[in-house]
Amino acid sequence: MILGIPDPQIVIGYGLAIGLALACIVYGWLHWNEEDDSNGS
Amino acid sequence: MAVDTLTMTVLVLIYLAATLAIGYIGYRQTKSSEDYLVAGRCSHPVIIALSYGATFISTSAIIGFGGQAANLGMGLIWLTVLNIGAGILLAFIVFGKKTREIGHRLSAVTFPDLMCKLYKSPLLQYIAGFIIVISMPLYTAAILIGGARFIEPTLGIDYTTSLLVFAVITAVYVVFGGLIAVMYTDAFQGTIMLIGMTVLLAFTLVAVGGFSAGSATLTIMAGLVPKTLAAQGMSGWTVMPELGSPIWFTVVTTLVLGVGIGVLAQPQLVVRFMTAKDNKSLNRAVLVGGPFILMMTGVAFTVGALSNVWFYQTSGKIAIDAAGGNVDAIMPLFINQAMPDIFVVIFMLTLLSAAMSTLSALYHAMGTALVCDIWGRGRECALSLRAHQAGIVVMMVVSTILAFLLPVSIIARATAMFMGLCACAFLPAFAIGIYAKVPSTRAALSSMVSGAVVWFAWTAFVHAAEAKPLGLCQAIFGTPTLLGSPWTAIDPIVIALPVSFVVMGFLQLQCSADQPVAEATA
Repeated sequence: MILGIPDPQIVIGYGLAIGLALACIVYGWLHWNEEDDSNGS
Repeated sequence: MAVDTLTMTVLVLIYLAATLAIGYIGYRQTKSSEDYLVAGRCSHPVIIALSYGATFISTSAIIGFGGQAANLGMGLIWLTVLNIGAGILLAFIVFGKKTREIGHRLSAVTFPDLMCKLYKSPLLQYIAGFIIVISMPLYTAAILIGGARFIEPTLGIDYTTSLLVFAVITAVYVVFGGLIAVMYTDAFQGTIMLIGMTVLLAFTLVAVGGFSAGSATLTIMAGLVPKTLAAQGMSGWTVMPELGSPIWFTVVTTLVLGVGIGVLAQPQLVVRFMTAKDNKSLNRAVLVGGPFILMMTGVAFTVGALSNVWFYQTSGKIAIDAAGGNVDAIMPLFINQAMPDIFVVIFMLTLLSAAMSTLSALYHAMGTALVCDIWGRGRECALSLRAHQAGIVVMMVVSTILAFLLPVSIIARATAMFMGLCACAFLPAFAIGIYAKVPSTRAALSSMVSGAVVWFAWTAFVHAAEAKPLGLCQAIFGTPTLLGSPWTAIDPIVIALPVSFVVMGFLQLQCSADQPVAEATA
């Protein structure tokens, strides 16, 4: 049982949700000043 | 309720005044049709992220789906996984950047306009516009009903007046300020939502003794699962339903897949990508968008499930019993009974913000679809500010009338139906179209029509949750559904979306294979 939850599927769900939110932060941080290859204009 | 009506009315009026003032700033900055339709294509990354998130998350996500988590358990956290993984990462990085680039290059101003210019097919623009104008009022009406149902007891105003005032006040800043006003107010409302959900999580964790202790207690409470749910495959709030059981199909296909994937091709969200100045803005928006969605749906589902612990410890009942069997009443009841008075106020403003931010985006998307994509398509009037303002008013009136005609229990169902239809009709043509070298018009048209038709057929004749209340199957075939279990529990999106993708992929590949032959012949 992890964090009071017996089902690994739920634990993995929580892990993924938090992990993906962190991935968004890391992605935004790493690509903060990335210039475009194409500006569409 | 815990807070007196006068205090609540004053705070709501302050909130509305601030919203209208921000809307007025948007109105002052709107000088051209491009400002009105795509916010001048130069929105700030934080505005894009908060506007996208606040539009994405409606009252239904917090109240409706939070209540579902209280009833069906923590398995709904997988919807948050899809909300962030598909709704933010995939949407912004894979679809958003391409959409922005193509939108800028082709000067597209609405989602159907983008499809038309991408595929060089006015017919596609008409069909996409038609689907929006027909289906979006259903979702809009659901948001209006939800908002009015909340305003009625909170401010002590009768339902009809609540609905009319809610519809008109939101329409005012959309009509005059266009997308700039919508996005500015969305950002303000998104900030309120973020504060409200953060405080809700903190108070809930304190009330149940922390996440681990609360979850452990919830695990021990598994024996209290109602017999009707247990018979359908639910064995506790901290475990997934039994694989292949009716509850499993409901959680996984309707709630997780239906809503999680449905978000990818919603016209009012796709337009947000076209408001970005450059791809750098979208990269930066991802940083804000992911945590924002986690704090919305992740918190709603966690609090919903843990509310069972609080209700049981204080009243000896589980959440659904405490709420008298009404899933939609669980979250408001928990807030009113478990939270300090000041938080009740914050949460009410959070709900109002969630409803208004989604409603304003829908008004804008419907009005512009009516004018730009149907009535004035290909003509100069398609970009007329006055015409768009009239279009938004017309669609606001249609949605309001529909809200009075629909049953009040339609909120969650209408939300899921709209998202399902959007995904089945638009997603394959949109996703493949923005990446294909030579997008096939025939493939897009066939995909869009087949997706919409199969979705409708499954909804009306097989999926019990809609087929039974619609009554079409009963009237034509004399039976409530054409197929039996487990098909009746499988959401239409699980059937219609693969059909739409297969049609799109097959015809697109055929088109690509024909291309070199055509070039050689030429």
